[in-house]
Amino acid sequence: MSALDSTSTILASGVRLTVPLALAACGEYVAERAGTMNISVEAMMLGSAFTSVATASATGSATLGLVVGLLTGLVIGAVHGNLSHRAQINTFVVGLVLNALVLGLTSFLITTQQFASHQVDLLSVPLLRDIPVIGAPLFSVRWPAYLLIPLVGLTWWLVERSRWGLELRAVGENPQAADVTGVKVNLRRRQALLWCGALAGLGGAYLAVGEVGSFNQNMTAGRGYIVIAAVIFGAWRLGRTLLGCLVFGVSDALRLALPPLGITLNAQLLVAAPYLLALLAMLLFTTQHREPAALGRPFERGST
Amino acid sequence: MTPTASAAPILELRGITKSYGPVTACDAVDLRVDAGEIHGLLGENGAGKSSLMKVLLGLVRRDDGLVLVRGQEVALDSPQEAAELGIGMVHQHFSLIDALAVWENVALGDSGKVDKQALCAEIAAVSARYGLPIDPEARVGTLSAGERQRVEVVKCLRRNPRILILDEPTSVLTQAESEELFTVLGRVVQEEGRAVILISHKLAEISRATDRVTVLRKGRVAFRAVTAETTPQLLAQQMVGREVSLGEEGAALGLLPVRNPGTGQDEDHDREAHVLRLAGLTVEHDGVRVLDGVDLTVGAGEIVALYGVEGNGQAMLGDVLSGLVVPSAGTVEVAGQEVDLTRPGVLSKAGLGIVPEDRHQSGVVLDMSVAENLTMKSLDQVSGRFLLRQRAMLAEARRLADEFNIVTPSLDTPVRSLSGGNQQRVVLARELSGRTRVLVAAQPTHGLDVGAIEDMYARLRAAAAEGVGVLLISTELEEVMALATWIAVISSGRITGALPVSEATPERLGMLVGGEAA
Repeated sequence: MSALDSTSTILASGVRLTVPLALAACGEYVAERAGTMNISVEAMMLGSAFTSVATASATGSATLGLVVGLLTGLVIGAVHGNLSHRAQINTFVVGLVLNALVLGLTSFLITTQQFASHQVDLLSVPLLRDIPVIGAPLFSVRWPAYLLIPLVGLTWWLVERSRWGLELRAVGENPQAADVTGVKVNLRRRQALLWCGALAGLGGAYLAVGEVGSFNQNMTAGRGYIVIAAVIFGAWRLGRTLLGCLVFGVSDALRLALPPLGITLNAQLLVAAPYLLALLAMLLFTTQHREPAALGRPFERGST
Repeated sequence: MTPTASAAPILELRGITKSYGPVTACDAVDLRVDAGEIHGLLGENGAGKSSLMKVLLGLVRRDDGLVLVRGQEVALDSPQEAAELGIGMVHQHFSLIDALAVWENVALGDSGKVDKQALCAEIAAVSARYGLPIDPEARVGTLSAGERQRVEVVKCLRRNPRILILDEPTSVLTQAESEELFTVLGRVVQEEGRAVILISHKLAEISRATDRVTVLRKGRVAFRAVTAETTPQLLAQQMVGREVSLGEEGAALGLLPVRNPGTGQDEDHDREAHVLRLAGLTVEHDGVRVLDGVDLTVGAGEIVALYGVEGNGQAMLGDVLSGLVVPSAGTVEVAGQEVDLTRPGVLSKAGLGIVPEDRHQSGVVLDMSVAENLTMKSLDQVSGRFLLRQRAMLAEARRLADEFNIVTPSLDTPVRSLSGGNQQRVVLARELSGRTRVLVAAQPTHGLDVGAIEDMYARLRAAAAEGVGVLLISTELEEVMALATWIAVISSGRITGALPVSEATPERLGMLVGGEAA
């Protein structure tokens, strides 16, 4: 294998691993800008990975699996939103419970029956796919990966340009002030969680019926937490958040690619590498204090 | 300008009642506001002004009573409805979002597409019309308190409200900025026929700016009058419900104290024998110098006031002297010893006590008992190596509670259920216990009623008389004039001047507050 070929292989694997992270990160970014430190993004990804595989197996359509995955994320987002921004239960507790619940439930359900393997189709862009090195990794991928491009644009536009996004940012920075100006604080936060759920659901489903084609126990393996790390790494800006996803995705790809290339490192250490990197990134970048001022702070009218 | 008697008033409240649990904040309040007038709403802290306005803004629902706008009864259930009825408020706190640009803040609360260009043009038009210059693109977090106020006013006026409510608008303004604001308000009512409700606890301001005044006391309307036919003294009486003296009590109410030359405070302290000395204290935060080379000296037994309008670095100074913030440069000496500010608790050990500005955040632990709060700083005295000695703790707490007249059902009562005045006494008692050489009192009378304010004054005086050096950080002119022997003025993080109280006049202090040398 030539050096160029192996670069292309690692890049291709890096892109495949980045896409689910990037989709979920677009969602998490919105949730956090609205003031919710949404750790149930892990549950959203894992839950949707499972339902997408189950749906694809039952109907034979991987695309339908993708849709059901998205809806699963939406449902988890709705549950989280109502519990923490209506019933005012601590958002971290809700997130932890949802993560544990989904992990347990999917681990159990996977043992109850055999699921047939289905995968969405590859979509190659003619000409572009023939560019050396980057052609195949970027332009010959499973079709839902291309959705990332409009979704990133839409996320940016919603947050930075729409009235909804303006209110969202206000809610994440200073809910009391937003409230007195007539913004419905908890409604906006629930809506942000729905957006997060839909995109994280799509990300999880993409991982399962897009890349792997099947479900295995705890298949997201903390990717939701990596997404949270990417938002912190990105200092709550969308572009840098996506860059963070790419860094984590490629480091994950390197882990998979090194052994075949004959480079042997301690396997456990390699598995831990992206997480160590995430930790390091957070350590280096949290000092910038760019986070939404009301991140993780619940809002109830009348209390200050 | 004067409305005819037959015309329905622009706003009428009838029998508004609002209770929070057992506390009745507003008790059958009637208020009538006409177009073309500035109506003063005066009352002590806790008199019900804020609750009444929250009802009017649809932020809380009234228990009983009618609201009529131009003679029509309205429900007023939400802030949106209030806005549609043309009721707008210039909020003092909690209503601008630092991280957003001016135009984004102004856009909040509108609906429809966000059109930056149109909004910026509109902001420019409104600010030109009223002479309130602001940059629509600036991030609100970078603006001074006065500029933020302008943004608030422009934001409110842009919506073309018929009724404009201002809640304590001058607490963050210099005298010049206050004048500017009142000029704008005058135009708003006289030329444009709007109605303005000015909420304040400052008598001078109410007398200066309003046409009519309604005084609230303990949730009820105590008095109403045409302002020109009253005097500040009369209003002060109505506010507290009894005769008030013109000395300290007047100061507590916002009247300039009348000094009795016979008991003039001695200013001949040996200012070299200082108990607190700040030298070149500088704090940078987000690239802004919040404190810029502050030099300040407090002698034993004297009260030095640090006067200035809110938001000029006082809060940061309080944080430094609480040990919460380590300054980027400069030193703090307590009783002649330089203190290493990087280690926690050293200021307190060195003999510095502090009554912090926000007593709920850093003054007391609300859900712990009175006894625990009182002995928190002297745990060595009331505990063995591992265990608290309950009896010693209660004895010490009892002693302090008696000495400082803390009114509490028991020493085990959580501090949360005490009145503001008593909570503040708990803080003061704790901070003065032990061998305190310096007491820093940051806005010690904020949110207290007149009785509690007078008590606080007396205790600060008593502490000084016992030889404690007192640094009083205050935004109230009358307060510093009544208490201090020296007055230093802070503006934009710098000390712009310091003078003995005998040479201080409101005019000179006003110039220093505005950043000019007097």
